[in-house]
Amino acid sequence: MSAPGGTGFLYPFLDAAERDAGPLLEDLARSAEAKAAESAALRANVLAASEDELSAVGLAMATRFDAGGRLLAMGNGGSSTDAASLVTLFGDPPAGRPLPARSLADDLAVLTALGNDVGFEVVFLRQVIAQVEPSDMVVGFSTSGGSKNLLLAFDEACERGCLTVGLAGYQGGQMAVSPSVQHCFVVPSQSIHRIQETQAALSWRLWEVVQAALRPLGPS
Amino acid sequence: MSVGTAAQSAAGPAGALDAERGAAGAGGLPPGFGVDVAGAALALARRFAHGGTLWCFAPAWPAHAHHVAVEFVHPVVVGTRALPAVAVSAEAGVAGLRTLCRAGDALVVVASSEEPAARRALARAPAWGLTTIWIGAGPRPAPGAADHVLWWEGEVPSQAAHTGRFVLSYHLLWELTHVCFEHPGLLEEPQVCSGPACVTCGDEGRLVEVLRLGEGGAVLVRAATGLEWADASLVEGVSPGSLVLVHAGSVLTVLAEGSGE
Repeated sequence: MSAPGGTGFLYPFLDAAERDAGPLLEDLARSAEAKAAESAALRANVLAASEDELSAVGLAMATRFDAGGRLLAMGNGGSSTDAASLVTLFGDPPAGRPLPARSLADDLAVLTALGNDVGFEVVFLRQVIAQVEPSDMVVGFSTSGGSKNLLLAFDEACERGCLTVGLAGYQGGQMAVSPSVQHCFVVPSQSIHRIQETQAALSWRLWEVVQAALRPLGPS
Repeated sequence: MSVGTAAQSAAGPAGALDAERGAAGAGGLPPGFGVDVAGAALALARRFAHGGTLWCFAPAWPAHAHHVAVEFVHPVVVGTRALPAVAVSAEAGVAGLRTLCRAGDALVVVASSEEPAARRALARAPAWGLTTIWIGAGPRPAPGAADHVLWWEGEVPSQAAHTGRFVLSYHLLWELTHVCFEHPGLLEEPQVCSGPACVTCGDEGRLVEVLRLGEGGAVLVRAATGLEWADASLVEGVSPGSLVLVHAGSVLTVLAEGSGE
């Protein structure tokens, strides 16, 4: 048989006859191990190479949080969910202090209003214009580093005096060279999956640094 | 900034990310995880091949449910086909899932084994006719809690949710599922014998979920085929949320107490 819309027509010799799933399952298990090993190596390399800048950014963010600053995260597609995870980590952490953080992709009324009435390129920019204060921090996730709506928002946030942090993949794209992205962490991989896995690890490490650098709370 | 090379990788940061060195093998996956995700991927590919939808539920970490869904619906690898996957919000929860899902669909849950809404959904999924995959960390779920369990046993769930463990887990699930589509001969569901049916009425015992108590011992139930009425006057202790066995229109046994929801 051939599944509707399947690729069987490309591989007629593979079709129909194959009935024993054993060899495929063994291949898949090996493939999973290999991909996980690649992911772990990439993560270790990037974390080691990023440690100094992560420390500097985490310290700067802690200072801003201490002064009442807020974290605003953004991203498109899977990266919007990574941004949302970062927001959950900072705002409702498993340990340490909850900090003000929210995702600019969260409000569907605002997102669809801007996307429909103006264009998707401005969905983050217009929110930055409307809501962001100089003490805030804007963090953007883009595996390509080229998302136009992030770049426009970074320009505006930078102009307003915010701290801007980008997480990109491949060679970093436009985010790596834009002066509006003050700190850009590039995960040098051609796989969007492997990039996102390491971006999660970078997010976690950044959160750890921020928590450690917050000014201790005094009595009220 | 500059990025690392393999030679620079010796010193990693401390904390949760280093836990893998104790808990997992050199490749970073817990023992058996590769085999587990392979089995889950083939089961999922078979459901897709037969028209099933993948429902994604992560009550404590909704972002993971959205990430899984967008992964399948809008694939990042050129040439891979879009597949029907939908995130069920934490607000919609079990009630939303019950209404939307159809027999032959699949359900992937990203949650700890303690998460109440995840447990409720997974306990009911067999009654609804779903194949289930549970991704999580910490103490393992009880055997049989899901058809496929992809687990990071040595890790703290609230950390694994943010260090990339779960992201890696469903990325692997997506990648392997698409490999299965290159093997159309293996996408036929193996024929499973469901046991002999009743010689009198031809019906079998079916697992269903009780939704509402009606008049005269009647109960409204969610079966794999949809909603139906059954007679519960022969048994005690049936309440909304109960999982019961129905045969020939009558409730024979209560398998799990209802939550009274």
